[in-house]
Amino acid sequence: MTSQLLKGINVLEIAEVWAGPFGCSLMGDLGADVIKVESYPRKSETRNAGDPKLDPRVAEGEGPIYERINTHHHGNRNKRNLALDIRTPEGREVLTRLIKWGDILVESFSAGTIDRLGYGWDTVREINERITMLSLAGWGQEGPYLGRIMFGVGFDAMAGHSLIRGYQNGTPEEMIPILHSDATVPLTWIVAVLGSLIERERSGKGSYIDLAQIEDLAWQFPGIISEWKMNNRVASPVANSDPSIVPHGCYKSAGEDSWINIAAETDSQWESLVTMMGHSEWAELKHPWSSIIGRIDSRADINSHINQFTKDYDSFDLADKLQAQGIIAAPVLSPPDPLMSPQLHDRNWFQIIDHPYIPERLLGGFLWKIEPDPPSWDQRAALVGENNDEILMQLGFSSDDILQMRKKEVIGDSYDEATR
Amino acid sequence: MTQPLNGLKIIEIGGTVSVSAAGKKFSDFGANVIKIEPPSVSDVRKIAPFPDDIFHIDKGAVHLAFDTSKRSIVIDHLTNSGKEIIQRLGKDADLIIMDIPVTEAQDLINIFKDGDNLLTNVVTITPHGMTGPYKDRVENDLTLFGWSTRSHRHSIAGREPLRYGPYAGVVQIGSTAAAVGMAAVWSKRNEGMNRLVDVSGVEALMGNVDSGFFLWAVNGALQPRSAGQSSGLYPSGAYKCKDGYMLFSAGRDPVYSRLCNAIGRPDLATDKRFTDPEEKPKNFEIFKKILEDWLATRTKYEAFDELQEQGVMCCPVLDASELENDPQSVYRKSYITRNQDGIGDITIAGPPFRMNGLYSDAWESKPAPNLSEHTTEILQEHGYGTQEIIALFRAGVTT
Repeated sequence: MTSQLLKGINVLEIAEVWAGPFGCSLMGDLGADVIKVESYPRKSETRNAGDPKLDPRVAEGEGPIYERINTHHHGNRNKRNLALDIRTPEGREVLTRLIKWGDILVESFSAGTIDRLGYGWDTVREINERITMLSLAGWGQEGPYLGRIMFGVGFDAMAGHSLIRGYQNGTPEEMIPILHSDATVPLTWIVAVLGSLIERERSGKGSYIDLAQIEDLAWQFPGIISEWKMNNRVASPVANSDPSIVPHGCYKSAGEDSWINIAAETDSQWESLVTMMGHSEWAELKHPWSSIIGRIDSRADINSHINQFTKDYDSFDLADKLQAQGIIAAPVLSPPDPLMSPQLHDRNWFQIIDHPYIPERLLGGFLWKIEPDPPSWDQRAALVGENNDEILMQLGFSSDDILQMRKKEVIGDSYDEATR
Repeated sequence: MTQPLNGLKIIEIGGTVSVSAAGKKFSDFGANVIKIEPPSVSDVRKIAPFPDDIFHIDKGAVHLAFDTSKRSIVIDHLTNSGKEIIQRLGKDADLIIMDIPVTEAQDLINIFKDGDNLLTNVVTITPHGMTGPYKDRVENDLTLFGWSTRSHRHSIAGREPLRYGPYAGVVQIGSTAAAVGMAAVWSKRNEGMNRLVDVSGVEALMGNVDSGFFLWAVNGALQPRSAGQSSGLYPSGAYKCKDGYMLFSAGRDPVYSRLCNAIGRPDLATDKRFTDPEEKPKNFEIFKKILEDWLATRTKYEAFDELQEQGVMCCPVLDASELENDPQSVYRKSYITRNQDGIGDITIAGPPFRMNGLYSDAWESKPAPNLSEHTTEILQEHGYGTQEIIALFRAGVTT
C-alpha cells in the first residue's frame, strides 16, 4: 500500500497532458483516491500518436497504440480511470455525482471552457460547497488572453525564460523546446490545494484556485526581471557557465556524445582539480589561476585545458575520481544511463510495472522517500475506462444504467471501437 | 487578512536556494516561516544580480525574491548550543525542511526523535538522498541537472548538453520538498502522525515528468532532440516576425489547418506536400518561407492576436524588458513592486496562484529579511532571556 499522507482526500481529474495529470499522480502517490475522467470518445492528447513504426513514443507490443505511448504512462500512475463523454446528459449526471464525491477538482481546459461546459466555479460549489476547484489555464482565468491556447513551451517563451536557456550566442531559431511548466506547476498546485483544505477547516467551504502556468514560471527565475529592473540589462544565456565561478561547465569525455559537468567553486576544489590534472603549479600562489579573479580572467583557456584532460576519460569513472577529491563533478546522463547508477539501485529507486500492453521494464521511481510509509506504484497507468463499472457503481448507478451508458457511448473502454 | 496557511509554523535550515524556494511556498501564503541561516552566510544571499552591481548580503535578487515574508535568525547548527535552540524552535513546528550535508542532517533529525518516535515532520534535501554510496557527494545546480537526463534532452545533437538556466534544477528540488512537506503537514493535522521525508535532488529531477529517462524507460527508444524549428512536424519552434520571434506549436491538425486559414492559405491545409508524412519534411523550406513572409509584415503581438483569434497555438517570445508590459501581466499584476529597506522599490513576481480572488495587491507578501534581522525576536519568543541571548552571541552560536 502506498503512502497514506493524503488518505481520505478524493481528487477528481478532468485534465490533459501533464501539468494537471502528473500532479494528480503525485497526490495518488501520497495516498489520495484519484479518479481520472478521461476524454471519450475523443482521445486524450497524451494518447495520440502517429504511425507506431515512425513514432518513437510508442512502445513495442500488440495492444492498442493509445495504451503504449510513453507520454501517457508518465503522468497517470496511482489513479483510477473513467472514460466519459461529459457533453452528454448522462455524462453530466455522472460528473455531478463525482463533484459531490470530490474534495478537489483539477481542470486544465483553456480559460472559459469549463464554464461553457456548464461546470464553472459557481456551479461546482453549488453542487458541493466543500470542494476546491483548481484551474490551470496557461494564462489564468482573467485578462485579455482569456481563451488563448498554447503548450508549456510557449509559457516558457513568454515568461522570458527561453531566451536565457540556450547556447551563448545562439539564435531563437535554435530554441530548444522544454516542458518546465509541466514539471513544476504540479509541485505548486499541490501546496495550493492542500492549503485550501486547511482553509476549509476554518471556513467549512472549499476554494477556487486560479493558477496561471506562466505566473508559476515567473517566480522561479527572479534574476531575469531583477537584472532588467536593477541594472537595466536584458539577461542573456550563460549556458553551463557561471559568471562568478571558473571552472563551471560541461566538458567532453570519452565516447560518442559523452560529457561530464565539473565545477570548482573554491580555491581548495581548484587545487584538487589541477593536482589531478597534473598541474599543481596552477594552484600555487604565484600563478594567476590560483585566485578566482585570475581564473575568471582566463575562463576560455582553463576550459580548453579541462577539455583536454577529460576527453579520454569515461565520464562515470572520472566523476568518481574527482568526487573522491571533493570536486563537484558528475556525468551528464543520456536517457538510458540512470540504469548504470549504483546509487539509484542501492536506493531501490527503479520500479517494475506489470502492464498488459507494454514490455516489462525498469521505470523511474518516486520524487521522495517517506518513513514510515513509503510511496509505491499500486496502480499502473490505467487502461482507458478500466474502472468504469467500479466507479459508476460506487456513485450509485445500477448495472442497467451502466449498460445503457455503454450502449450510448457515454462511457467506453476502447477508442478503436468508438463510432463517434 | 487571513491567508490559507496562517497558523502554520515552518522551520527552514541551510540557506541554500533549494530550501529558500521551499520555504517561499509557505511564507507567501501566511505561514510563520523561520529561516535559520548558517554563520557562514547563506548561499541564496550570494547570488547576483545586485542593485547597481554592488554586492550586499541583503540585496541579492534571489534572496529578495525567495525569502519574502520570512524571519531570519543565524544559528550555528553544528554546535550543541545551536542544536538546543533548533530543538526548542522545532518542538511545536508543523514542518522542518533542511538542506545541509547528510551527516549534519542526521544529527538534527536525531534531536527530533524520542527513541523511534519522530516528534515533528522533517524533510531533508540532499543531492543524492540520505543513503547509498553517493550520499556524501558534493553537487551543485549544474551537476544535479546533468544527472537528471534533462541536460541531455536540452541540447542540439553533437553539442554539449545544457541545463535549463541558472538554478532551475535546485529551485525545482525545493518545490518538490515543499509539495511533499505540505502533504506531511496535512497528515499531521489530520492523524497526528509525523513523517521523515528524504528528497534526493537527483531523484526529484529524474522522476519528474520531463525526464528523458522516464520517456525512454517505457519503450527503450531514444526521442529525437527537437532543437529549433521542426522540419517534420511544422510549424513548431521560433519563427522571425517584424520585431522579434513567434513560437509555434501548430504542426498537427486541427491547429495546422487553422493556421493555414489564418494566414490566408487554406489550400495548404490539404496540399499533400504539407500533409503527407513522407512529403512534409521535404517541403519544410517552402512552408517556412510562406509563413515568414506573412510574419514579416506583422509585429509579434499583431501576429499573436490574429493567429490566436483563429485558435492557432502560438505566442510571442519575450525578453526581460517586455515582461512587465505584456497586457496579460499588467491586467493580472503578475509582477509587483515593493519597497525594500535600503534599496527602494524592487520588482518581483507576484503570487504563483490566486485563491478565491486574492490578487497581487491584496497578497500579503512582506519584504525579505536582512541577515539575522529577527535573531533576538525569535529567541525571546522561544523563552531565552537577555543574558542567555548575549551568551549565545558571545559563543558565536548566533550573530
